[in-house]
Amino acid sequence: MTTPASTAVAVGRAQRAPRSGGLQRVQRTVARLTLPVLLLLPALVIIVGLVGYPLGKTIWLSFTETRLGDLADGSGEWVGLDNFKEALTDAQLRTSLINTVVFGTLCVAGTMVLGFAVALLLNQKLKGRGFFALAMLLPWAVPALAASAIWKWLFDDRYGFVNWALVNIGFDRFQDFAWFADRETAYVAIFVTVVWQSFPFVALSLLAGLQTLPKDTLDAASVDGATAWQRFRLVTLPLLRPIVAVLVVFSTIWDFKIFDQVYAMAQGVPDRAADTAAVAAYREAFALGHYGLGSAVAVILFLVLLVFSLVYVRLIGREGRT
Amino acid sequence: MRSKFMAASAALAACVALAACGGDDSDNDSAASAASGDKPAEQAKLSGEASVWIMDPGSPALQKVFKSYATKFQAANPGTKVDIEFVPWAQAHDKFTTAIAGGKVPDVAEMGTTWTPEFAEQGAFAEQPDIGEGKYVSSLVDAASYDGKVWGKPWYAGARGLIYRKDVLEKAGVEPPKTWDDMKAAAKAIKEKGGGIYPVAYTGLTEHMYLPTVWQAGGEIATQDGDTWKSALGSPQAAEAIKYYTDFYKEGYVPKAAIGWEEPDAQEAFINGDIAMLIGGGWGYEAIVDTKKSLADKIGTALEPAGPSGEGTAFAGGSHLVVFEESDNKDLANAFVDFMLEPDNLNEFTSQIGFLPGTVDGIQASGYLEDPIKKPFAEQLLDHSKVYPPSPRWGALEGANIFDSEIQKVMKGDQSPEEAAKNLASKMDEEFAG
Repeated sequence: MTTPASTAVAVGRAQRAPRSGGLQRVQRTVARLTLPVLLLLPALVIIVGLVGYPLGKTIWLSFTETRLGDLADGSGEWVGLDNFKEALTDAQLRTSLINTVVFGTLCVAGTMVLGFAVALLLNQKLKGRGFFALAMLLPWAVPALAASAIWKWLFDDRYGFVNWALVNIGFDRFQDFAWFADRETAYVAIFVTVVWQSFPFVALSLLAGLQTLPKDTLDAASVDGATAWQRFRLVTLPLLRPIVAVLVVFSTIWDFKIFDQVYAMAQGVPDRAADTAAVAAYREAFALGHYGLGSAVAVILFLVLLVFSLVYVRLIGREGRT
Repeated sequence: MRSKFMAASAALAACVALAACGGDDSDNDSAASAASGDKPAEQAKLSGEASVWIMDPGSPALQKVFKSYATKFQAANPGTKVDIEFVPWAQAHDKFTTAIAGGKVPDVAEMGTTWTPEFAEQGAFAEQPDIGEGKYVSSLVDAASYDGKVWGKPWYAGARGLIYRKDVLEKAGVEPPKTWDDMKAAAKAIKEKGGGIYPVAYTGLTEHMYLPTVWQAGGEIATQDGDTWKSALGSPQAAEAIKYYTDFYKEGYVPKAAIGWEEPDAQEAFINGDIAMLIGGGWGYEAIVDTKKSLADKIGTALEPAGPSGEGTAFAGGSHLVVFEESDNKDLANAFVDFMLEPDNLNEFTSQIGFLPGTVDGIQASGYLEDPIKKPFAEQLLDHSKVYPPSPRWGALEGANIFDSEIQKVMKGDQSPEEAAKNLASKMDEEFAG
């Protein structure tokens, strides 16, 4: 009668004995990991809730035909890749994606060039350098929408300062010139606004980088007869490369998903030809009620940014190793 | 400590329960009193807060009138708080869509008449069952109907006419234009002899400026076929209308920048003295005179110039007052709507702007037809106006500005009016199909 039970107990013991070493190891691992996991948990929950969930939902929406009524109960109809096909074939949406890449890249270039120029200037022994550094930060502190409104007014056809100034220095064709009546000229105005707002961060970061550069290396180059341009290209730039790479990644992410300035300034450009992908996604979803198609545009923008970011991250990684 | 908290929360719960019951009573009271027309302010049991979104009237004086509704209502109903926020028309559709999607809606809102069916289809509004026969302007009730029920109470309606500078027309030696041909001739004369002022602001944005020209040409915008709507913009009349409208831009009668202007931009240009003629409503006239008093003596008003159809038809636009389904305080919301619709309150606002009140009582109490400068706006609405198709899809068509792009492309010379008409028809049908 008792045999099966005792056998079971014996078997249990026999089995537990060799396992106890592994169990201890597991227990030790759990104990070692408990605290870090607990400490990370709040951040993880927030990241999953605030980034993961919306991202997942947007990706899911991009495969559905969803209207405002469907949004609440998630009853959108699955349409596969239809939204992506439309996003890439619809003339306005395709234009917006191209605009994003071309205009975004130009903005990054403009921001970096101006940022570098200002950083190099402020790195000189200037009187009142602190004041200039502080003043430079002001554009960065202005809310993007407010800045857009101001610049739009500065570029106004009749009352804008820009046309007034251009006419006064002899360019008569800018009398009543309508900057926002064409995509290219509208982009000039938006480019100025974006660069004006984003160069301070780049300039400040580069200035910080410049001030960590070893003086003796530069002096040595100087003694060896290197010109200012050679010193910049052969000494300063290579030494600053890690900072530059990070700044380019940041600027790319900011300028590719640019919204406020374009939304506020490009609204009247004929055929919405100056809209960027972020604005097009917003309009498609919230103005037209095509949440699926809007999400598809957003997902494409996300993928483009992902590719750019991965490339840059790899580049930085390579820098670190060499 | 704990028992105090319990007592407090019990008292609070009791208050809420009482308020809810009281609210029901007062609702009946208000219906009864509104019908008999006396002392609707006797709703002492209302409490809590209501947020109200009103379209920005663009004039400080009118903003003050709206604010005074809240003050007066709060004084009549102690313990209530009404918070009025002004929403610019141009952003309003997006804002409502976002608010409804996010569940962050106000309690009461002014709703453009073309948007009411759209958001009603989404289930955003509380039904308005006690709309009553003969109490409201019937076409505005129709515009608020979807699925056999009424979702908003008519507030006011208006139509755009022609606003012009008497002094500039005199200088150019032309009479206020009565037809399309007159309009073209006047624009030419003003361009040549007006002293550097642009003749007219036909804008690239704001479809209420150009869509009515289709009616003026003798065409239709859409036709109903059973439950569905079909665009009628593929017609030769529509192409003719687009040609007429865009030719002003191509001829240089309109500022180059106007291709990207909304209606308020055109109004601002008129105020600045850059434009001699403007398509605008009574509300526009009020805002202009309010902003620049010196213009008051120089402005004349007239009906919109008549097209080949012989009619200068304008769009009859207006607003409903809606209560949101997700409002926490529908009793207070409904009470405030009824308060704003009382003839005295209604006329305080509509009489200033040449709008027709949305209630029959309000129209009788108003004296707008006696004022010569505002009379054209009233006549325009009563005798020379139409409404856009009351399809739930219309609001989205407006919100997305599907019309503007095609008109702008003709203005720029990128396509012909015929192509624009054809594209517009197919874009509209796409949206109607959902």
